[in-house]
Amino acid sequence: MKILVIAESKDGELRRVTREVAAKAASFGEVEVVGVKGERYSPVAWSAAVADKAKSSGAQLVLLGATLNGRDLGARTAAKLGWAYAADCTDVAVKGDAIEVRRPMYAGKIRATVKVPAPAVVSIRPGAWTLPADAAAPSVSEIAAGAESDRLSFDRFQAAAGGGDRVTLAEARAIVSGGRGLKGPENWKMVEALADALGAATGASRAVTDAGWRPNEEQVGQTGKTVTPDLYVALGISGAIQHLAGMTSSKVIVAVNKDPDADIFKIADYGVVGDLFEFVPAFTEAVKRVKSQA
Amino acid sequence: MRFLVCLKQVPDSTVRVKVGSDGRSIATEGITWSISPYDEYAIELALERKDADASTGVSVVTVGGARARDALRQALAMGCDDATLVMSEQELPALDAAKALAKVVGELKPDVVLCGKQASDDDQGLVGPALAEALGWPHVGMLTKLVPAGDGVELWREIEGGHEVWKAKTPVLGLVHKSEKEPRYPSLPGIMKAKKKEIPEKDLESLGVSASAPRLEILAMEPPPARGQGKIFKLDGDAKGVAAQVAKALHEEAKVI
Repeated sequence: MKILVIAESKDGELRRVTREVAAKAASFGEVEVVGVKGERYSPVAWSAAVADKAKSSGAQLVLLGATLNGRDLGARTAAKLGWAYAADCTDVAVKGDAIEVRRPMYAGKIRATVKVPAPAVVSIRPGAWTLPADAAAPSVSEIAAGAESDRLSFDRFQAAAGGGDRVTLAEARAIVSGGRGLKGPENWKMVEALADALGAATGASRAVTDAGWRPNEEQVGQTGKTVTPDLYVALGISGAIQHLAGMTSSKVIVAVNKDPDADIFKIADYGVVGDLFEFVPAFTEAVKRVKSQA
Repeated sequence: MRFLVCLKQVPDSTVRVKVGSDGRSIATEGITWSISPYDEYAIELALERKDADASTGVSVVTVGGARARDALRQALAMGCDDATLVMSEQELPALDAAKALAKVVGELKPDVVLCGKQASDDDQGLVGPALAEALGWPHVGMLTKLVPAGDGVELWREIEGGHEVWKAKTPVLGLVHKSEKEPRYPSLPGIMKAKKKEIPEKDLESLGVSASAPRLEILAMEPPPARGQGKIFKLDGDAKGVAAQVAKALHEEAKVI
């Protein structure tokens, strides 16, 4: 099957998910990787470019990363083409003329196997496909963006207060999240210190973002981000079903909570019952020690 | 300014969704149904404009079965002005639902259409962009704020590290990620008023839409894999000792650090 992979870059570098998708797609199809030229994603102009390329290339399947922009672009492109569409898939198999995907539904509470008629646009969850260590960087050709809507124009970027250079949540291989148990935004230094030691992104429960302790974009769970890192550390998070839905697929979960009956312990691989204000600084030092010896 | 919010009724976010006996749909017995959370945020964003300027109109529409009337009543009780039900007991393919909604947009002529960024059932996030495409309108995703500006609106799109601010001339479509305030609860007078309102009903035929979009077929559903019981450590005053044990386990057993 001819497959068109749409590359996504950030700060001039290919996103990891593009490399993951390109590497895996090569195992079940003939792959061409293209990226839309342009500094800023725009649905109208970019979907026009991708739809044109999809038609002219004869691809039966368009794959792209299920990132913020990827999901938006994938949906609008599928609509433009009138093709089938499946979002945020964790696996794809080509079966004759059809494509079978695995994808979460109901905010992660259900896993579905779905038959998608070709031609189709499918977005792939970052991290769902492990990037082989020896995978060569894909060669990406550029395509020009289509015409922009004359009703919409980019005005400015408003940086979030407190936003830093930390790894982004969706693609992070490790995440340290804080909940109400942290007691206040002033205690996030502790979360950040642990995240720095682990090379992790920082996340938060909904209670925390709703209270304004942390920016919305850090919210993990239903109505926030769904994440699948190798390591998820939940600090002072009790484990509401909406939060669990967003992180239960993490490979390894560490939970710290003073309540031994907290729901988060039901899914944790390593649970620490006790005062996080005692444990976290000690754990940060222990992580640094292990890392320096490794 | 006139708003149209497209909403969908889904299992409430507190529901423990279970797989039904056929293994390919969910068990619906005893489920509480609600407006999908992102659609509630969309309603809140629109109603905040109405709070600021009473001449603002807020309509809601859904594609769904008879049960979806409850979701529309809920929206009316929150303060929306009118509601339209596009009747379809069968779940429509997203592109067909978008075509039907485009016809409703054509009749109501809103300046701004808002959709939640995805419905918390299939979580596809396709209907909104497909509706914009069907209308030939631009759209802005991940919307968290909307401010009238000149002859249009300013749309705040949340991205990594902050917000892109886009200026749009109406009509335009937004996919809502969040509202700054939590969606309001219906007031008692709101509930009483909502009860009396007529909810006009349309269907694909009356809208002149023929179902033609590609259909996805769910072959199987399962719950996420169960996680085994993990190791529990109690601090008991030895934070350093437990911290060292957990770090060691993450390195040697789990191999994640």
